[in-house]
Amino acid sequence: MASIELEHVSKLYANGAYGVRDVDLNIADGEFVIFLGPSGCGKSTTLRMIAGLESITSGDLRIGGRSVTNVAPRDRNVAVVFQSYALYPHMTVRENMGFGLKMRGAARETIEAKIQDAAALLGLSTYLDRKPAALSGGQRQRVALGRAIVREPNAFLLDEPLSNLDAQLRAEMRLELVKLHRRLGRTIIHVTHDQVEAMTMGDRICIMRDGRMVQVGRPLEVYANPADTFVAKFLATPPMNLIPARIENGADGQPAAVADGLRVKLPQQHLAPYAVTAGKDVLFGIRPEDIYETQANPAWQPIEVTVVAIEALGVENVVVGQIGLSQPLEISARLSRHFTAAVGAKVTLYIDSLPMHLFDPASGAVFARPPLVTSR
Amino acid sequence: MRRLALHIGLIFVSILILLPPLWVLRTSLVPESMSYSTDLLPDVTGQNYIDLFVQKRFGTFYLDSLVVSAGSVLLALPFAAMTGYAFARFKTGGRLARFVVLATQMLPPVAIVLPAFMLFRSVGLTNSLLGLTIAYAALNLPFLIWILMGFFEGIPVDLEWAAMTDGATAWGAFWRVVMPVSLPGIAAAGVLGFILAWNEFLFALVLTGPGTATIPVGLASLQTSNGVQIAKVAAGVILAILPLVIASRFIQRFIVQGLTFGGVK
Repeated sequence: MASIELEHVSKLYANGAYGVRDVDLNIADGEFVIFLGPSGCGKSTTLRMIAGLESITSGDLRIGGRSVTNVAPRDRNVAVVFQSYALYPHMTVRENMGFGLKMRGAARETIEAKIQDAAALLGLSTYLDRKPAALSGGQRQRVALGRAIVREPNAFLLDEPLSNLDAQLRAEMRLELVKLHRRLGRTIIHVTHDQVEAMTMGDRICIMRDGRMVQVGRPLEVYANPADTFVAKFLATPPMNLIPARIENGADGQPAAVADGLRVKLPQQHLAPYAVTAGKDVLFGIRPEDIYETQANPAWQPIEVTVVAIEALGVENVVVGQIGLSQPLEISARLSRHFTAAVGAKVTLYIDSLPMHLFDPASGAVFARPPLVTSR
Repeated sequence: MRRLALHIGLIFVSILILLPPLWVLRTSLVPESMSYSTDLLPDVTGQNYIDLFVQKRFGTFYLDSLVVSAGSVLLALPFAAMTGYAFARFKTGGRLARFVVLATQMLPPVAIVLPAFMLFRSVGLTNSLLGLTIAYAALNLPFLIWILMGFFEGIPVDLEWAAMTDGATAWGAFWRVVMPVSLPGIAAAGVLGFILAWNEFLFALVLTGPGTATIPVGLASLQTSNGVQIAKVAAGVILAILPLVIASRFIQRFIVQGLTFGGVK
């Protein structure tokens, strides 16, 4: 078992472009960490640098306290599960799983015993003599995991291992991986661009963009307190509504976020931290689930919305509505499955402004306020 | 109806392609005196084949061709595999190196054959199977490099990365994972190299002597000052293409078999 520390780690390519830029991260021993970000953000590159498959241009990488920046992949004792599974096609499942131990000169009996254990754990015992081509996608994925488990590495590095599975299998494997982590207690870094995986699996999420680590924290902590508009939009579907607004004092003297078709008073407990936004242009951020079709709380504030589309998902209805007249804007709301309205109809929805955020429209950075949710 | 028309068309094209070799086969099986006859099969004899082996030393030519073709492939393949892998995976030498390798194939053989002859004579490799084997290996090397480079580029780098994190060195990953996975490709390249060497005439003519001639040179020798013994030439042609027909069966299987057999999705 081992901790993983990245200190000012960068990856500079020959063409002068940065793949990864100045990443600082400490991953505790046994922690399950998610690298989340869009394609090309540098998350897989970071993973490959930890594995030793990509060189580190500058900075230091330590695994278990030992600097491994210039150590070959085989000497880092980490196991990688690739998106493509990367099973050796000419070997059987047994040979695939035993390859790592064979390379390390383990005794044949030891290898066989560990293969049997891992196969039993993953439900692969009856497939040991098959070649990868004779397995389903889910089975191949399990073999790739088994190949990693058998070696008992210091850390597991998973590079989008679930992205080739269908939705149902992916949900099952998500749970399996979490259980596996609990059972093995090893450090796991899981790279994904799937927000559900990020929110449900890890102890911490590291959100990456353009080679930089934008925000690191517990999933719900990051969800409730995004560092900028990128995180706010990326971490959920539908994303947080970001409405260009201006902070103005109302007739009652209370500051409100004001836009065409929108006037939301800032909650009392946010007035002090948001004092700096007085009179400024901001992006008013509100998550679709903080908009309701009925006013269950007198503090919730009404907005008039013209329904543009309704996505009936069964469990809920996602309503896309338009606010404003001179510069119409679309906002999304996750409403109850019982909500019905014709497209084009005008409806009143209610905003719970307590979880709101204000962002700087130029930099995208959040105007900090004390968090509402502090732990998961 | 469309299917029927398609089949009729395909049958017609097949006949068009098969007729010449079938007529050569027919000519090789009739006596020399009737070889120019337009009768389908006036008489059947194996005498032409017997004459080739007994009088014309075709057995030796056959053996020489086999030794030289197989030898050149065995000599060139390891170099081609390693170079092709370096080009494909490490981009060694960049695009320029790839182009230079390909450019050597653009020279007409006649431009190389005389310098090669001078060179080989100075080291005593003319009139020897070893000399011709080396010449063919060198001639076919760029072609084999390009074929294998394509195969290696088709192998996902994830496989090598998996092997390297599993404890293999870069060489170990190449030897234990890339090579076995590329075997169909290597076999296909080997068969293509064999066919090229088997068919080669110019270098064989210049670099070999009477005791070391290959099949194409042997076939050419059937054209004498007394004329062409067409039935024997036909028999020689049949003997010459026989290994190629067998080889083409292999190459088809290897190429169809594909490269990665589902190891990566």
